[in-house]
Amino acid sequence: MSVTASLAQNLDTAFAIQQGWGAWLALLAASLGTYLCRAVGVMLSGQVSQDSEFFRWLSAVTYAMVAALTIRLIFLPIGLLATVPLYLRILVCMLALGVMFANPSRRLVPALLTGTLLMVTIGVML
Amino acid sequence: MSASPIDPNDSLGGTIQSPAERVTSEMDTIESHQSEIQSSTHSVARARFTSNADAFWSGVRDGRGAPAMVLFAGMVGFGAMGRTNGFDLWFTTATSFLMFALPGQIVMLEMILVGASSLTIALATTLTATRFVTMTATLFPMLHERDRNKALYAKVHLLAMTAWAVSLKEFQTIEPKHRLSYFVGLGLLCWLISVPGTIVGFLIAGSVPMPITLGLIFINPLFFLLTFTEIKVSGYRLAILLGSIAGPICYLLDRDTSLLTAGLIGGTLAYWIDRCWIRRYDQKASP
Repeated sequence: MSVTASLAQNLDTAFAIQQGWGAWLALLAASLGTYLCRAVGVMLSGQVSQDSEFFRWLSAVTYAMVAALTIRLIFLPIGLLATVPLYLRILVCMLALGVMFANPSRRLVPALLTGTLLMVTIGVML
Repeated sequence: MSASPIDPNDSLGGTIQSPAERVTSEMDTIESHQSEIQSSTHSVARARFTSNADAFWSGVRDGRGAPAMVLFAGMVGFGAMGRTNGFDLWFTTATSFLMFALPGQIVMLEMILVGASSLTIALATTLTATRFVTMTATLFPMLHERDRNKALYAKVHLLAMTAWAVSLKEFQTIEPKHRLSYFVGLGLLCWLISVPGTIVGFLIAGSVPMPITLGLIFINPLFFLLTFTEIKVSGYRLAILLGSIAGPICYLLDRDTSLLTAGLIGGTLAYWIDRCWIRRYDQKASP
């Protein structure tokens, strides 16, 4: 099926209502839970001074958490990205980092585009 | 900064404009660790913005580059996931709008598909959102005292990992009184872009060639990897390194709690090494 034909078919059925109240209830509960975490953060931030040792520790934990998530997404991905060999994933990361460091003004967007386009190219060749 | 033109495509590098300014920032990193932290979170020598509106629009401009790309790509992926699993457009889009936390959104869709109860879904998604607790608690103390009020409970919904990473870096060169406006500009754009992103993903699901999908998936982790290079404080660099090592180990031991344990282990270890050795060494080195 051509891209346009499948797009047309998608549009044809896109606006139908399918979800029952059960799913919406789950969404409400999940949204409240997610917001609760943000609210607890605000509450906690009121008690924290940015010069305190606690703030430094909390920052270190947050950075470590974000790093753990990033490394997991790159090294132990699930789904489509897992079909790309590990050495290619690492190579693309290295090249993107290279662009980031090579540019004196340290541009993020060119480095991001380099990595993404390289991954697209790998996808074409796979 | 306020005087020089801003490249709309440049989201993170926007602070360093003229060669003279770059020299200053490089000199800062040579200085001792102690003053580095203080200068990064406290005193800002020059005024970057003239007004709150100026700061707000600068946040929007910075958001138009990499953060918008990253969020849009992530939400396109989520919209496509909703479509291919039989959810309707309204529900999928409302999820992005109300939750605005991609990992939690994916967990919720998966759990609805297997027929989990609302209570279990709420518990699981809350667990994936625990990162927001520390993200908020590390970002908001940097705001001006005047801005740290009840209104933050509404504005905190705009906080996602992307806006957090950018704000944390940009706040260092923004006066405290303008920081909230900058954050709202950046966060609002990120939040609002998630709606068209989800809709586009929903509509193009199944029509996109595999290589494009691969690029869209990869842009997210790549963004965070690249932002790590912007962090100047050596204690936090160490936290990133140790978190990267602890992450995969914890993941292989227990998947569900791996982020929390990796963060606690890697972060605490980095904090202690920084406190016991790095800061002490820096104090000796600087007269």
